[in-house]
Amino acid sequence: MASLFKDPAKISAYRDRRFPGNQEEFEHALITSTTVYVGNMSFYTTEEQIYELFSRAGEIKKIIMGLDKNTKTPCGFSFVSYYSREDTEDACKYISGTILDDRPIRVDFDWGFQDGRQWGRGRSGGQVRDEYRTDYDPGRGGYGKLVQKELEVQRHLVDYGTGSLGSFPPVIPSYGGRHGGGHGHGGGYGHGGSRRHGRDYPRKRYRDDDRHHTNEPSKRSSDHESRRNSDHESRPQEKNPRFRESGDSDDDEEDDRKRRG
Amino acid sequence: MSSSSWRTLLLRIGDKSPEYGPSSDFKDHIETCFGVLRRELEHSETEILEFLLTCAEQLPHKIPFYGTLIGLINLENEDFVKKLVDKTQSKFQDALDTGNCNGIRILLRLMTVMMCSKALQPSSLVDVFETFLSSAATTVDEEKGNPLWQPCADFYIACILSCLPWGGAELVEQIPEDIERVMVGIEAYLSIRKHTSDNGLSFFENVDEIERDLNNKDFLEDLWDRVQVLSSNGWKVESVPRPHLSFEAQLVAGKSHEFGTINCSNLPTMSSVPSDVSFGKEKHEAELKYPQRIRRLNIFPSSKMEDMQPIDRFVVEEYLLDVLFYFNGSRKECASFMVGLPVTFRYEYLMAETIFSQLLMLPQPPFKPVYYTLVIIDLCKALPGAFPAVVAGAVRALFEKIADLDMECRTRLILWFSHHLSNFQFIWPWEEWAYVLDLPRWAPQRVFVQEVLEREVRLSYWDKVKQSIENAPGLEELLPPKGGPNFNLGAENGKENNEQLLSGQLNEMVKGKAPVREIISWIEESVFPNNSLEVTLRVVVQTLLNIGSKSFTHLITVLERYGQVISKICPDEDKQIMLIAEVGSFWKSNTQMTAIAIDRMMGYRLVSNLAIVRWVFSEENVEQFHMSDRPWEVLRNAVSKTYNRISDLRKEILSLKRNISSAEVAVNEAKAEVDAAASKLALVDGEPVIGENPAMLNRLKSHAEKAQEELVSIQESVEAKEALLGRATDENEALFLLLFKSFSNVLTDRLPKGSGARSLREWKSAQVEDMAVDPEEPSTMELDNENQIPQNSQSNGGKKNVAYNVGEKEQWCITTLSYVKAFSRQYASEIWAHIEKLDAEVLTEDAPPLFRSAVGFGLRRPVNEA
Repeated sequence: MASLFKDPAKISAYRDRRFPGNQEEFEHALITSTTVYVGNMSFYTTEEQIYELFSRAGEIKKIIMGLDKNTKTPCGFSFVSYYSREDTEDACKYISGTILDDRPIRVDFDWGFQDGRQWGRGRSGGQVRDEYRTDYDPGRGGYGKLVQKELEVQRHLVDYGTGSLGSFPPVIPSYGGRHGGGHGHGGGYGHGGSRRHGRDYPRKRYRDDDRHHTNEPSKRSSDHESRRNSDHESRPQEKNPRFRESGDSDDDEEDDRKRRG
Repeated sequence: MSSSSWRTLLLRIGDKSPEYGPSSDFKDHIETCFGVLRRELEHSETEILEFLLTCAEQLPHKIPFYGTLIGLINLENEDFVKKLVDKTQSKFQDALDTGNCNGIRILLRLMTVMMCSKALQPSSLVDVFETFLSSAATTVDEEKGNPLWQPCADFYIACILSCLPWGGAELVEQIPEDIERVMVGIEAYLSIRKHTSDNGLSFFENVDEIERDLNNKDFLEDLWDRVQVLSSNGWKVESVPRPHLSFEAQLVAGKSHEFGTINCSNLPTMSSVPSDVSFGKEKHEAELKYPQRIRRLNIFPSSKMEDMQPIDRFVVEEYLLDVLFYFNGSRKECASFMVGLPVTFRYEYLMAETIFSQLLMLPQPPFKPVYYTLVIIDLCKALPGAFPAVVAGAVRALFEKIADLDMECRTRLILWFSHHLSNFQFIWPWEEWAYVLDLPRWAPQRVFVQEVLEREVRLSYWDKVKQSIENAPGLEELLPPKGGPNFNLGAENGKENNEQLLSGQLNEMVKGKAPVREIISWIEESVFPNNSLEVTLRVVVQTLLNIGSKSFTHLITVLERYGQVISKICPDEDKQIMLIAEVGSFWKSNTQMTAIAIDRMMGYRLVSNLAIVRWVFSEENVEQFHMSDRPWEVLRNAVSKTYNRISDLRKEILSLKRNISSAEVAVNEAKAEVDAAASKLALVDGEPVIGENPAMLNRLKSHAEKAQEELVSIQESVEAKEALLGRATDENEALFLLLFKSFSNVLTDRLPKGSGARSLREWKSAQVEDMAVDPEEPSTMELDNENQIPQNSQSNGGKKNVAYNVGEKEQWCITTLSYVKAFSRQYASEIWAHIEKLDAEVLTEDAPPLFRSAVGFGLRRPVNEA
């Protein structure tokens, strides 16, 4: 509506260096995209919370949680895609900067989700911003990854629970408060975990899964994977339809033949 | 001076801003800005003209400053102002032609202030007024016009009246006879138009409101009254800055320009074969095209409202609505303009009422409700000392009257309030509302608290919300269950019954990525022959839902991959209802997941919208109608998904059709090129040779063929989409027929026979009175009144807050009827398209009159039943 205070040429200050194209193509992608990037999220925020909040801007097509490369657990960002451009714009206009799980989240146009973009790009598996952060952020796993490593080293040098560590909030490195095995449930550690203890219930099973599969891709991520693999097969139907057309619903035999062929 | 500087000065004029230094004196601002503009005019005339008009259009509360600037420029550069007046005229005519209501209203205001600054002839302005007056008078004339379009006529008159706070004093001073003639004309118009009474769109439904509505003034009558008071006050308006007065001595020397003739667009003529239905449809169309801008929502007692003249309320509302409209999406500017209006008095209460009136506006607010959520959040931050308390006051006042609040408004209020609290750490004095626990389960206040808590949990998590109500721990009873899935086919202690065994097998197959075909054969060969359909369905659906229960993405993944298994088992509507019931039971502790799962299943066409409606109207859900939003959420989703798909198709067709025109142009151009090339090449060396350059000609021909193919391909997609639209329209019709038939059936069963009431309000009020005088009624009087009065009643309507005395059956009817109205109103445009069929099959003499009138109110159908 208002054109007076907006620079129409500047749709996003952020330029994804992994975008496969030039600036012009990047801007075109942003102007036509129906996907938003959501940043500064808590590691604890669930897809259903995102669904509740973002559906206030319009019907949601899909949600992709950003995951830590190593732990396969949420690491503070996600992609939400809509069926219409208008709803996408409204999500950026009305939800960016508002609070979700006690944090002001950032909502920006995204050039479109592609497989691989769900993983954190930081060296330690999470987002880059969580590598170098020096503040203590309980919603994002405590200190930044580098500081955590530093603390780990110190912990081995100094005796447990004494000396220099006393001046820090008592967090023991474990990636993403609630996801490390048992973190925050037992001892006196872990702001994050115990604060959110109650939240365990509905998601408990899936955290259990995550724990069982620490050395292989977790259940959750393997679901993500296989779902995406099936994308590449030649399926005639639209993914995540708002409402599939009745005529193109089909005989499964035929569909299977197509898939195999 | 750089060129950005004059722009910034124009933008920031009248604001407290660094551009203008410490001075907040309007006169200083204008002098500074004018000083820069006069220098820049030489080389940036066009840019300044465009930008000045854009500023006036998008910052209409600053129009008096722009008007004065124009007046000052006019003293030195008449030519520029002449161009500006001409440009204004062409924009104005354009706005009239396209029905751009905001454009018309705001440009007329700009013309008014240009008149105040002696840049425009007062008589030119009066000419516009008279054009509007005569168009309006013609429209409402039964013989010459088309009274169905009174909304347009009313709009024109409101535009004239709206200008008077800005220039009434000047007009009366300069051309008293002319303006007197206009006022007489308006009075005459008011006497021939019809009073608009729009029960279908009012926020509240109760007797007080009916009475108020009967005596009440409609929007135009109300504005007329305010202008009458203004006129008797000597046209003094505190809320309108009058900077031109500071420059009066200079401005009088200016040459006023003329404004050319303008034309009001022609309205459709009356249909030659009028019928109730065609009347209703056309009236609906007119109301959509010329909507009323505001419906006042009276939340606060007058003692709390800021003390201001009647016209000031109107002016400040205009300012606020314009900022909301033009600064949608610019958060910072929106909030800072909202709090920094150029008025001398405080207006927080009025601001809150205005925003709430937009948030709750029926049938639809101008923007999505989440926009107003954001504005309220930002204002609470911008005015931390004042606004949060005002918002809390508004919530309390609305909560008091929640039983009378329209159902759609209640839903919006729940969504807004939960979202708002989620942005402020869920802090709310819940102890004030702890008494709702003592009210019956269907009491609207109790249901409201329960639904707000439900939405808070969705936005956050159970324990967090539990913590937030610790001042009223009893309210925990109203929290939703800790919403895990209800999977009852898991193996326990190693012992497995048949269903658990089958479920385990299916689970393994899915984990092993068995193809759909294999699972279907397993079901056909090993499950179905030995088990009932019920068991087969339960095992398959529960198991798949359980696999998809971890998150939204897990759910859509499993539906995407194994949806065909489900559709194999549930090929028809009856089975689909069983399927939905199974979803409801699996997710009985989690309404959000129930709603999402059903919604996605509808998306994949595993369940039809008709099956959803039938499930919603199944006994189990019907019993919940007055106590929970759960069935309604599912129903709203199904109807809105159907609607969204139809509007997607309409938009796609519209854009394809636009492509057709450009493809046609391309075809013609390509053909012309071929023809031109063919004729040009006809002479070579004096010899007529055809196709001397065959390569070139062939290239052009192939280009023309491609263009033709492109055109045909677009035409084919339009045909395909139109076929889909046709089918979607049929599905829509079937949906609304079933929906209203279902409403009619459940209401026929439950509404008391022989009630004389013709409207929900009338009936409701009768119920309340009956209950009040009948202390023996067990379902209503089981509560001790004395305990029900909250300690800190904020009651503002004079009525005491007493125990809720509407019985369960009555509440069920009230709630259901209110939803009938809400659905009819929200989808009125779609429903009007099928009204003949609805009239013939559902809205018949046999249907309960209260049901029919609820539909009528929702559709805003002209009432002519006796």
